[in-house]
Amino acid sequence: MIQTVEKLYENSQFTNTYKIVYTDNSEVFVPHDTANRHYQEILEWVAEGNTITDNGGGE
Amino acid sequence: MALSTIPFSGLGADASNQGVNFRNLIINGDMSIAQRGTSSTGITSNGYYTVDRFQTIISSLGTWTNSQSTDVPTGQGFSNSLKMECTTADASPSAGDNLLLYHYVEAQNCQHLKFGTSNAESLTLSFWVKSNKTGTLTQNIRQIDGGKFINNSYTINSANTWEKKTLNFVGNTADVIDNDNGAGFQIEWWLDSGSNFRGGTPSSSWHTQNNLDRNADGTISLADTVGNTWYITGVQLEVGTSASDFEFLPYDVNLQRCERYTRRLGDGLWGKASSTTNMIIQCPFFSPMRATPSISAITSAIKTSDVTAADYTSSTGITSANINAYGARLGCINFSGLTSANMYILYDNSSYIALIDAEL
Repeated sequence: MIQTVEKLYENSQFTNTYKIVYTDNSEVFVPHDTANRHYQEILEWVAEGNTITDNGGGE
Repeated sequence: MALSTIPFSGLGADASNQGVNFRNLIINGDMSIAQRGTSSTGITSNGYYTVDRFQTIISSLGTWTNSQSTDVPTGQGFSNSLKMECTTADASPSAGDNLLLYHYVEAQNCQHLKFGTSNAESLTLSFWVKSNKTGTLTQNIRQIDGGKFINNSYTINSANTWEKKTLNFVGNTADVIDNDNGAGFQIEWWLDSGSNFRGGTPSSSWHTQNNLDRNADGTISLADTVGNTWYITGVQLEVGTSASDFEFLPYDVNLQRCERYTRRLGDGLWGKASSTTNMIIQCPFFSPMRATPSISAITSAIKTSDVTAADYTSSTGITSANINAYGARLGCINFSGLTSANMYILYDNSSYIALIDAEL
């Protein structure tokens, strides 16, 4: 079960990659690609009312 | 014999049953490849756990151990099977609970079936199965494009005995399978469910999905007792109305086919230090994966070496990634003593450091 999803940035540019952290603390780096099953999982998680963490690359 | 006259069915003495001609639409049907590991315990949710390409689907129906087993039918040439074992029972599932196995067949590998035309080919699914329970289990194929299902079932006649099952499916003349890298077929082996998946009217014709049909024939409730087991191996889906002998592939060929969907990353990759503590590891995908993959960090420490054979170890594994269809850059921090812009090679890691996943 997904705990958090974060957009990843590199030099303030979105890398087209997200980081999922599951409730068991395992992590998966996920591309912004609708053919990817983990990205589909993110879309379902968002559709359930959850929000992707987006720090805007201001790390 | 001229290459153009070699029959599609191969060069064996009995050409209908022998030879390697990639007639099996199932990848890793002999369960020999298990890149994620050979045993996974405490399973209560969907996932790929051990044997490549076979996904466990579970919703609130017991707790399970999924393993790559060496228990196989005698004298058939198999070395492995996939085993499901119940470790926490649930004899009274709620309506929406379910337990089954999926295997997805990529759509562009199904084009020769000519689905959606009057020449649609019939299919035969065969496999070896064993369980401590006797009774009937439901077997379906879902065609993703078109949203159609076809139902079938098989009976386990003797407890704790390997039995070969052969199931026939007519071709679908109505619905085309798109020629793409999405899912063509979802093969379903039902093991247990609540009432939302029972009570329908299963059909041996392709029909619109109705969840009530999906486990309608199942009389076995595999989750009802701790210690219940179900094994499967030798899975083959092929054109025609009869099952040929299982098509064994060399291990390396089988692995390479699995690596279109899942592969390991580890020793041999190169990294470049961006500071005394940080490194970017380069991961080219030498053969294309099905789609842009996900990357799971497996280890919590990554060991590297420089040209003088001095070792540098990160204590935190992969902390960032930038992925596309051709490769990935993985970010690693918490090294010490790196020289910025120097190159380092991953070596002597006890296991693979990450799993790349482009599964369906």
